[in-house]
Amino acid sequence: MQDRRTLTDIQVNETLTNTVLKTPLLWYVILAFMGGIVMLGVVAVGLLVNMGQGLNGYNRPVMWAFFLTNMVFWIGISHAGVMLSAILRLAQAEFRRPATRAAEVLTVFALATAGLMPIVHLGRLWRAYWIFPYDFSRGIWPDVRSQAVWDPHAISTYLIGSSLFIFVALIPDLAVLRDRTTGIVHSIYTMLAMGWRGTVRQWRLQAIAGIILSALLLPVFVSVHSIVSWDFSMLVGVPSWHTTIFAPYFVIGAVHSGVAGVITVLVLMRWLFGWHDYIRREHIDSLARLLFVVALAWFFFFMLEFMFGLYHQEGTEMVVRELWLFHAPWNAIFVIFILTAFVIPVPLWLFRSVRRSFPLMFFTTILVNVGMWLERFLLIIPGLERKHPFTFSWGEYAPSIFEITIITATFALVATMILLFARAFPLIPLGDAKEARVLRDEIRIGRRTVQAVLREE
Amino acid sequence: MASEEVARDVLQRTFVKGGRYWQAVAVLAVVFLLGVVGFILKLGDERAQWGYFAATFSYLFTVAQTAPVVSVALRLAKNHWRRPLARASELFAVVGLFNLLFFIPLLILLPSIEGRNTIWILGVWPSRFYTPHIFDTLALVGLVVLGLLFLWTAAVPDFAAAREQRGGRGRYAFLALGWQGTARQWRIQRALLGLLGGLYFMDVLTTHFLISSDFSMALVPGWVDSIYPTFHALTGLQAAVAVTIVTMFLLRTVGGYREYLPMESFWGLSKILLAMSLMWFYFWWSAFITFWYGRLPVEQNIIQLIMFGPYRPFFIIGFLFCCIFAVGLLIWNPLRKSPAAMAAIAAMILVGGFFDRMRLYVASWSLADTTEHELTKVPAAIWPQVPDLLVIAGGLAGAVLVYMLATRVVPVMSIWEMKELRLYQVPRQLVRRRMLSLGKPE
Repeated sequence: MQDRRTLTDIQVNETLTNTVLKTPLLWYVILAFMGGIVMLGVVAVGLLVNMGQGLNGYNRPVMWAFFLTNMVFWIGISHAGVMLSAILRLAQAEFRRPATRAAEVLTVFALATAGLMPIVHLGRLWRAYWIFPYDFSRGIWPDVRSQAVWDPHAISTYLIGSSLFIFVALIPDLAVLRDRTTGIVHSIYTMLAMGWRGTVRQWRLQAIAGIILSALLLPVFVSVHSIVSWDFSMLVGVPSWHTTIFAPYFVIGAVHSGVAGVITVLVLMRWLFGWHDYIRREHIDSLARLLFVVALAWFFFFMLEFMFGLYHQEGTEMVVRELWLFHAPWNAIFVIFILTAFVIPVPLWLFRSVRRSFPLMFFTTILVNVGMWLERFLLIIPGLERKHPFTFSWGEYAPSIFEITIITATFALVATMILLFARAFPLIPLGDAKEARVLRDEIRIGRRTVQAVLREE
Repeated sequence: MASEEVARDVLQRTFVKGGRYWQAVAVLAVVFLLGVVGFILKLGDERAQWGYFAATFSYLFTVAQTAPVVSVALRLAKNHWRRPLARASELFAVVGLFNLLFFIPLLILLPSIEGRNTIWILGVWPSRFYTPHIFDTLALVGLVVLGLLFLWTAAVPDFAAAREQRGGRGRYAFLALGWQGTARQWRIQRALLGLLGGLYFMDVLTTHFLISSDFSMALVPGWVDSIYPTFHALTGLQAAVAVTIVTMFLLRTVGGYREYLPMESFWGLSKILLAMSLMWFYFWWSAFITFWYGRLPVEQNIIQLIMFGPYRPFFIIGFLFCCIFAVGLLIWNPLRKSPAAMAAIAAMILVGGFFDRMRLYVASWSLADTTEHELTKVPAAIWPQVPDLLVIAGGLAGAVLVYMLATRVVPVMSIWEMKELRLYQVPRQLVRRRMLSLGKPE
């Protein structure tokens, strides 16, 4: 059963631009709250810069911890954008329409946040640019054979591509805003809209650009998380890291957490902006079905990764699995991870009533991302704690308050950036909402009316 | 064509086969018998000499027993363009019965897990050392049973149509299971298709995992490749799509089903085939780069064994046909919209898939000692002998023969789904363009 309501073009324009033109009061309240948390994070980073990395909970041999876990997590979230937008666009899936912009925006901001993490991790973050092949006076070139060099290039390529992707899709909406604003704001939208008049040729070019960018971004999206996985799997010295499945396992995990993240954002958008006519139960239902399939695939990969750690029965590999299963706090984290990333949400998604419930989908998708954050934590830290074969060189890691503050601030940072974006641009593409209305149809079969969609012959 | 005509036409083609059909059956039967001769000649060979036999088994499993997944997956996605191809892919389930014959000798030849790598770390009751023998058999037999049940469930309404045309008696009266087309029966059939399809999908993945691990990777000391089962399953899905395309093309050109198999069905599958071919590279690369970059001696030896060493020609052909040429051709929309071009590309992928299976299975089975800790020396290539070639030809011919014989009983076009398609697809005019309104059943 679909809960559709027919809207006119004028209603679409008014309701979807109200985030820009008539911002609700709640927006300011949430922005102030999130901004406060971000400021706390900035202070924590400032203290780290001033007083050094000793403020973190690092303990040899664990020198990669919360920040890099968080980097992998946010890169994972960033995969939702292209996954949903590009693949579903190429597949002409109708349920993508209200989700694409939110997914793309989440991609860009999550990716930018992910990019911040290794910089904070560096300690001397003002030297971050040394990673790029720029021949300045020090005369040292980055070693292109190192996977640590591949990472920033992949992330920056993806960031540029995703930003372009958003911009191309935004142009028609920018023209609508241009026509509804005055003064300097009007001038800015005029410049950004690039002379858009909505001619047939412009629409055709925009559609072609969208398809080309979708096709080009897909390999980039796969490569980014693969390269992130190679940060770990290329290192033969750390138990549980050197495994061939890491690249696709990271990618499917990213899609799992990313699609869950998009659903979370959509439910929040519906609540905050009152877009009940655009983000409907059937959209969440379809996304939940997709998430169900992705979750099963991710779990299959997880089982393979776990099992092949035991397969060769190497002592160093077994000891990490032992940590996961039998030693506190790792066993507790492992149980929470499995429960939240798979055992609780996935069976719930079997029920149509859950898939079509906004509060329950919000709850289950939040659970997924709690689990997926812990998964990355489990993948990175226990292996490092048992990096060396001798017990005297084993170390334990516990995060400090500075790390916890910075990690919390990254969540607030992404929320802040999305809120600011919503203040300047529509979060649901106006053109898509109107096109969906034109292509909507019904077919009579006997005594029943079946929802249909028009497609070119 | 009206709904009643569809039923009449498809059933007529099922009941009455032309001379060419019987000629093909005769040729395939002769080649199959030659394969039996080849098998007899191989009896008494060392285990290392059975690699080509194992590769043939694996290939048939990869192609034929994975093929019904095409129907299962597209049915779950509720595509309309999958309706004409659904039965062609489901019908491959019958080849699973034939492939069980290939499995028996391999079970006998598979060494016990004592003292060697295995996924069965603990071993399971009732036999510690023969755990893979038991569970792989269960998985494979389960797959055959599930495949046949899925096929039967999907074909029951068509069997009922055949029963009516045959005067309500004969084998179709039994196969139709008293089908009258009541609302309740349709509801049950739909639920069963969903359930059996889901189980089949999971069993395919499980069996790929077990077969690839127990009959290939575990035979090579020190080969720890966690992506290998997934690569195996993925290449299976790629081959499944390819074999469905080739079958559709043959049905369209030789079988007389041209009207039923529109370009959209080929086009839809072609995009999936392109995605699979890209993923072929990605999964292969994930394994390769990890081993190559790691520089561990055992991993360098394994790369030599299965890629760049004695079986390099097989690897190159598989790599080019399944990945490089496939992607290079499938990116072109005019080719994807041409049934003939798609059939040629799919056939190329099927050939490449066989070479890929040979480089993996012949290499794995060529090692004499499976109990070493690590692979320290890459053995020389084992090239196929005449009995091997006979077994390969006989195996492939036998599989095609079984499929062709099954088309004598089961309509190769799903009649009820074609009728449904006519209800859900309505032409419409949108301004100046002709469009299709596609109904989306809840």
